Amino acid sequence: METNRDDFIIAVRSAFLKKNYKQRFSLIGLIFFSLLLLVLGKLNFTPVDYLRISLKEISYKSAFIVSVPENYIKNVARKIGSHFNLYENYLNIKSEIEKIKSEKILNEFIVAENIRLKKAIDDHYIKSEGVIGKVLIDKQSPFLKSIIINQGSKNKIKLGMAVVNNNYLVGKVVEVNYLTSRVLLLSDLNSKIPVILEPGSIRAILSGTGKNNGRVQYLKDKTKVSKNSVVYTSGSGGIFKAGIPIGKIKDPNLNNEIEVEFLAEFSQLDIVSIISFTKEAQTKAESEARTKIEREAQIKTETKAQIKAETKAQIKAEREVQIKAEREVQIKAEREAQIKISENVKNEALFKKLSKKYTIKCKKTFFNNLYVVGTPKFKACIMNKGIKKKKN
Amino acid sequence: MSKFTKTNFLHVFARNVPLILLFISVLNEFDFNYLEIKYFSFNFPFILIFYSSLKKSNYIGYGYIFLAGLINDAVVGLPIGISSLTYLLICGFAAYLRNITLRPSLFKDWLFFLFTILVVNSLIYIILVLFFSVNINYYSSMINLAFTFFLYLFFAQIFKFYNDLLSQGRYYD
Repeated sequence: METNRDDFIIAVRSAFLKKNYKQRFSLIGLIFFSLLLLVLGKLNFTPVDYLRISLKEISYKSAFIVSVPENYIKNVARKIGSHFNLYENYLNIKSEIEKIKSEKILNEFIVAENIRLKKAIDDHYIKSEGVIGKVLIDKQSPFLKSIIINQGSKNKIKLGMAVVNNNYLVGKVVEVNYLTSRVLLLSDLNSKIPVILEPGSIRAILSGTGKNNGRVQYLKDKTKVSKNSVVYTSGSGGIFKAGIPIGKIKDPNLNNEIEVEFLAEFSQLDIVSIISFTKEAQTKAESEARTKIEREAQIKTETKAQIKAETKAQIKAEREVQIKAEREVQIKAEREAQIKISENVKNEALFKKLSKKYTIKCKKTFFNNLYVVGTPKFKACIMNKGIKKKKN
Repeated sequence: MSKFTKTNFLHVFARNVPLILLFISVLNEFDFNYLEIKYFSFNFPFILIFYSSLKKSNYIGYGYIFLAGLINDAVVGLPIGISSLTYLLICGFAAYLRNITLRPSLFKDWLFFLFTILVVNSLIYIILVLFFSVNINYYSSMINLAFTFFLYLFFAQIFKFYNDLLSQGRYYD
């Protein structure tokens, strides 16, 4: 047992510590140096940053040169494939062109209307002329789905710029070097883009899966998404302008994770456009018109508020008047009731006084046909001080 | 017919073919992604470094392996130093196997290669996830490792054939 452990230690020591002949560096030394680089890189140590940038510039250019034979084979394979499907593609394209022609006429009107409306609310973005970039490297690493393009800070590329291919969004710039840049593809696990699903205007987040598709997440519970719905950028967060097409819904289900098929073909990216979006500068007339509209809107709002306040005051005053009138009526009724009561009391007292004297003249007896005691007629008779004889 | 001698260019080139292959593979991975075979990918540098360290330790210097790792990090977009660490650990494991082996067997090498890539990748994934917050698609990574493992046998045979060819050339000197 002791010997086995000693053998193991000796073998490990020999493997890691002992420097073989013709080896200039010790293995353990280089392992520690790698760890040191990792730690310093994590702490953003400046010399390591410089090392990283220089290494990237050299590697990207070298990788492009080394990739030439593979790219050649790739292109040949693609060309052969496309030749085999030539007639089928021709028929598909022909029918699509007819469809697109009819849609284009309708779209032109909608686009013009949309621009006009967006200008009215100061939300009209225009895209920059854009820089055309050639894809130097398209590594499909298990860790990172990204491409390297031959445009860098020298060509005014900035972090966060949108990268499109045939007007379809492919990703955004995440790293800018002097001559090259790295574009994080939408399919990468770390990619998260705010999107909108049409039809339905459903807002969600598009995440990469690390494969060739994306996934729509953070939908409201039980939101129904139809198949072939189109995914566009929503413009939320100000990263991209709204309405850049991204993909189509492939497999909608109710698990709040819907698969998206990208419109751009990431494995065949060759030339891409790097663009940024800015708000359109307004002309003086447009600015004045906008100020006028804003002022009118403000006046309208103020007038509305004033009318509302006045109406409220009027209603309050009317209510007060009504309450006052009701109160007066009530007081009058009370007073009348009081007068009536006092009259009644007075009459009662008079009736009592007169009844002593005139009961005989009004009371019904065996010998006369007068009034029964307690009836209104008897009371009237008493008050009249007996029956008044009619004068002819 | 030209003979492999220590002085002629062909000999120098032939001796450095593994090194050239290593740099080509880190600059332009042999991923065959243009064939669009679903899930197919493998890590050629792992196979090359392991075999080279196991059989001919002096063919590719540790310094070159370290540099190849740095280039791979730059190309793939990983934190600088992580691939160097991976490659050097594979070298270490291969050197350990070389030291304890008395009778070399391709099958044992193959199984130890599996153990090596699993341990080293686990370690690297832990570092990437914990310290650099990198999201990893474990499913793709496992497929990549599986293909790397299975293709080791194939490439080992090719390298063996090449080494034999080279040894014959030396024999003629």
